[in-house]
Amino acid sequence: MAQSASPPLLALDGLGKRFGSLQALEGVTLDVQAGTVHCLLGENGAGKSTLCNLIFGVYAPSAGQMRFGERPWLPSSPAEALEQGIAMVHQHFSLVPRMTVVENLMLGQAKGILKRREFGDRIRDIADRFGFVLDPDAVVGELSVGERQRSEIVKCLMRDPKLLVLDEPTAVLPPGEIGALLDICRRVADSGRAVILVTHKLAEIAKVADSVAVLRTGRLVAKADMKTADMGALVHAMVGREVKPLDVALSDSKEADSKEGDSTDAGAAPVRPGFALVCDGLCVQDRHGATRLDNFTLEVRPGEIVGLAGVEGNGQSELGMVLAGLLAPTEGRYFIGETELTHASAAAVTAAGGGIVPEDRHAVACVTAMSVAENMYLNKLDRFTRFGLLQRRALNEAAAVQMKEFDVRAAGPDVAFSGLSGGNQQKAVLGRELTLDPLVALIAAQPTRGLDVSAVEAVYRQIRAAARRGVGVLLISSELDELIAVADRIAVLYRGRLVGERPAEMGERGAIGALMSGQGI
Amino acid sequence: MEETLAIFIASTLRLAMPLMLAASGELVSERAGVLNLSLEGMMLTAAFFGALGSWATGNPYLGVACAVGAALCVAAVQAWLSVNLRANQLVVGIGFNILALGATTLLYRIIFGGLSREEIPGLPKLAVPGLIDLPFAGTAFFQQSVIVYFGFALILLIWWTLNQTSFGLAVRAVGDEPRSADKAGIPVARTRWLAVLITGAMAGMAGAFISIADIHTFTENMTNGAGYLALAAVIFGGWNVGRTIAACLLFGAATALQFQLPAMGINVPTAFLLMLPYLLALLAVAGVVGRLDPPTALTLPFQRGK
Repeated sequence: MAQSASPPLLALDGLGKRFGSLQALEGVTLDVQAGTVHCLLGENGAGKSTLCNLIFGVYAPSAGQMRFGERPWLPSSPAEALEQGIAMVHQHFSLVPRMTVVENLMLGQAKGILKRREFGDRIRDIADRFGFVLDPDAVVGELSVGERQRSEIVKCLMRDPKLLVLDEPTAVLPPGEIGALLDICRRVADSGRAVILVTHKLAEIAKVADSVAVLRTGRLVAKADMKTADMGALVHAMVGREVKPLDVALSDSKEADSKEGDSTDAGAAPVRPGFALVCDGLCVQDRHGATRLDNFTLEVRPGEIVGLAGVEGNGQSELGMVLAGLLAPTEGRYFIGETELTHASAAAVTAAGGGIVPEDRHAVACVTAMSVAENMYLNKLDRFTRFGLLQRRALNEAAAVQMKEFDVRAAGPDVAFSGLSGGNQQKAVLGRELTLDPLVALIAAQPTRGLDVSAVEAVYRQIRAAARRGVGVLLISSELDELIAVADRIAVLYRGRLVGERPAEMGERGAIGALMSGQGI
Repeated sequence: MEETLAIFIASTLRLAMPLMLAASGELVSERAGVLNLSLEGMMLTAAFFGALGSWATGNPYLGVACAVGAALCVAAVQAWLSVNLRANQLVVGIGFNILALGATTLLYRIIFGGLSREEIPGLPKLAVPGLIDLPFAGTAFFQQSVIVYFGFALILLIWWTLNQTSFGLAVRAVGDEPRSADKAGIPVARTRWLAVLITGAMAGMAGAFISIADIHTFTENMTNGAGYLALAAVIFGGWNVGRTIAACLLFGAATALQFQLPAMGINVPTAFLLMLPYLLALLAVAGVVGRLDPPTALTLPFQRGK
């Protein structure tokens, strides 16, 4: 833990990487000591992933040098990096869901005839040594996210690496599992290895980090020893401007709403009487006959924001699909405004005034190969169609206006959607759904996942503004703090059932957390 | 009746054999993520060059070697196109099949002349002492061409390799999650290449079985869709070795009925019987036998960093 005078395990010197005209990384100089946990902090697009990919041999640097241990470091492939002692847990897991844990871990490790039993024992040993449990014979596709992450960590540790890199390890975890992950990181560092944690959420990992380096737009803008570091200054360095912590910023806006008298109180919604969204006993069974959503009943009034909390995989995805008109419920009914949409198509949901921000932005919400303008008007293209032909100029002009309104930053309305950052893509999708006419209810699933702080603020500002206009909002998220900051009340989903409802107040955090983990039911 | 049954079993096995060889080979490649629609073309090429080799050298074993070699050449081009050049596997496969049909027909007419029914040296049949006397199935199973026994050994080897070796693990991983496999240090391109070559070798054996072991001559388009049936058997079998073999036997039995039912005096239109295996295959592909769960990356080329 102590910064010793010994040479660093990994030394980066003036490292740079250019992709075409994009300078992804420039002049990064950084030392990582063995036996420490090092935090690499930065917003989305700051160059964290690029830096990791250089260390791990996915790309070759365009400038600068690296040293690993005693030698200059220029791995030609991830395989070489692994062999030489650098292992990485990627944000998107590198597991084959169809295979078991032990098969996944033998992949690339075992040679010749597979010895599952022997290898399984090694997995148990390693898990034991670093203080957790893992069943080697479980099929990966059936494991929780936390268990998959632990499989990934064991996979790395089996290669006995000198350096373990974890890319956004807390992003996928439910709150209760973050502590366990940090304990594992500490134990790994204590065993004499170095750990690099890549994240944009400093607070979550602050207690385990020894030192921290901050990346912004490809440059290293701050380095600090965690013991003496000023968290505010680090976050400032990361975003390059003064920002309030998210919950403070959002709570402020919530208070402001109340002061305006445009009340978010459920009883006093001014614009539309009745309910914006009604779910009445919705049930979903998957193809194996397992119940994914169990008698889900919830009403959202106009102007109300209802947060639906829950650890991922407790039925949120299925609910989102049903509400989007992509999945027919096995039982129950579903209304937007006065319109029943129980077995309706996605187009009917849109026509009834249901705005949908799906949880999987890439797969469901947009066509990444099409332009920004086309994506922003994907559900209203008929407006720009004459005699079956698309009026592209009118479309682009309209999109440019909307991009300004929703702060979608892109070179122009006609660039490919795939070129936008995650935050801008989400703002574009949100803009598209919020400009539906009529808009009765907005269903947003994990709308801030993977977004940086300023994009998160922008997304919630738009959602709150919609609620003030009388739209009923159902906000499905696993980020409890965000829900508390934004929603009026919070319902908790656990194993497909609605297990409780609490007011959205910080004081209820513990109670909601307990419901999320299935306690106190 | 007993005799009829024995004949039925024997002809089922004979008709299913090339399907089993080709399908078990194709299964390896599909588990690795490469679809060889060219299986039919590989088999036809192998049947032709096997016949040619056996006829030219007078040695059927050299004929089998020629067949496997020819199919391996086709497989190598298929692998190069679909793995290295990341060409559309469906288009490549269809192209190969048309090319193979044209090329073998042309070469056959040039070399053997228009209507030759030249008999080529075939493989000997090997009786297994003791077992051949078993009722019903004795002669059906235990008086077969050597290629049958060898083929069964190869199929067992494929099953064992897929499930019990690191290569099999690599094959399954690159077919499901090539990116994950790459990160685990598995050479994706090489694994897929090897898998396609295994398909080629097995398709070569299948082609050789048809021309050298079974019919003892070559005729134009003599595989007659067996490659497509083998592809269907892989789907029918849910990309599982045992079930794929069972599907091949089912298709073989359906084909055998063509000869058996009229012999038993049962009057069913021949056209219907001809159609039967393909109808079964169609039902299988349409998912009637259950939900299909193909390898996730089937037909998807892999490129690092994309």
